[in-house]
Amino acid sequence: MKSQIYVLIISLLPLCNDIAHGQPKLSIDMGVGFYEPTLTGFDQNETVQFPPKSILNKNLMFNWGIYYEFFNNARIGYNSFTSYAIGKSITLINSEAVFRRSLSYRIFPIETFFRWKPNVELNFTLAPIWGRGRIELDTTPGDKTDDWNYFINSFGGSPDPVSDMGATDVMITDWFGYSSMLGFRYYINSRIGVDVKGGFMNNSYKEENWRIQRQKVTGPKMKVDDLPIFSLKIIYGIR
Amino acid sequence: MRSLFLIILFFNIIIAQSPKKSADSPCDDPLIRLAELEGIKAVPLKDLIRLKKLMKACERAGGKDQISKLYENDWNRDYKKARRMASWTSTHAMCVFVSFGYYFVGKVLATNPDSD
Repeated sequence: MKSQIYVLIISLLPLCNDIAHGQPKLSIDMGVGFYEPTLTGFDQNETVQFPPKSILNKNLMFNWGIYYEFFNNARIGYNSFTSYAIGKSITLINSEAVFRRSLSYRIFPIETFFRWKPNVELNFTLAPIWGRGRIELDTTPGDKTDDWNYFINSFGGSPDPVSDMGATDVMITDWFGYSSMLGFRYYINSRIGVDVKGGFMNNSYKEENWRIQRQKVTGPKMKVDDLPIFSLKIIYGIR
Repeated sequence: MRSLFLIILFFNIIIAQSPKKSADSPCDDPLIRLAELEGIKAVPLKDLIRLKKLMKACERAGGKDQISKLYENDWNRDYKKARRMASWTSTHAMCVFVSFGYYFVGKVLATNPDSD
């Protein structure tokens, strides 16, 4: 009886090909986002000279996402807005450090929509956010050079060959938030569309929640709650 | 069990489809037929370039109306499917709209306690 069930399943497999045609749509998108956070900890820092604020490192976010249409008028997906700042030669006590900062807003949207006209869509997005701040520093700690020289000298050869060493360490924080957006999408053809969205996001960021090497530290003051946000992206329907 | 397997194998061979013959006209190609029946998005990505070539060949062979109909049907298919919000989606949209309105109206009308 058991083997007959297997035979039945094998015989029915070719029929499953027909079901595959009815799969919902999958789409990917790429674009940019705009917002205006208040980054007091960086912009008004009197001790460390961070890179000067500009539209590129403060207001602009790179955006990509993937969506799965699970219902006629609804899709779920993942969307990531990330803002980057990079600074070279940040003067610290012992080194001229390279500084990299990223603020990522990882959004898990539920989007409902309707077609107003055959090529115009209005969409409504409600999304929880998992945000992450990341600060990376390339420093040149002196004691590290001594340790490496001590280690290399043990193999013989010319003594103290290393004069400069770098180290990269990262401090990270996570927070949760939510977002709500209204959007307008224009389909250039049935696969490609341009999507414009506007809305707001609220993030529960706390500067006390940063961590580095498993130690809790206080990070920069930033105001990333209660923020209007806009995005512009190109959609490509895979299926 | 073995005889059942042999019977299935036998009938699979007897009533198997003949190998796909290339269609005489590009407009009758199975890929164009699939796009007509299920929409352009049903065509796998790997066959997209072939579909574009077939569409051009079909247009050159006098199937211009057929191809424009294919595009029109694709638009209409998506439009009809998503023209009206179904089931819970309108409630979701209303929630988004209300929160959006509440936030931006609040931005305009709310007073700062420090300004008093």
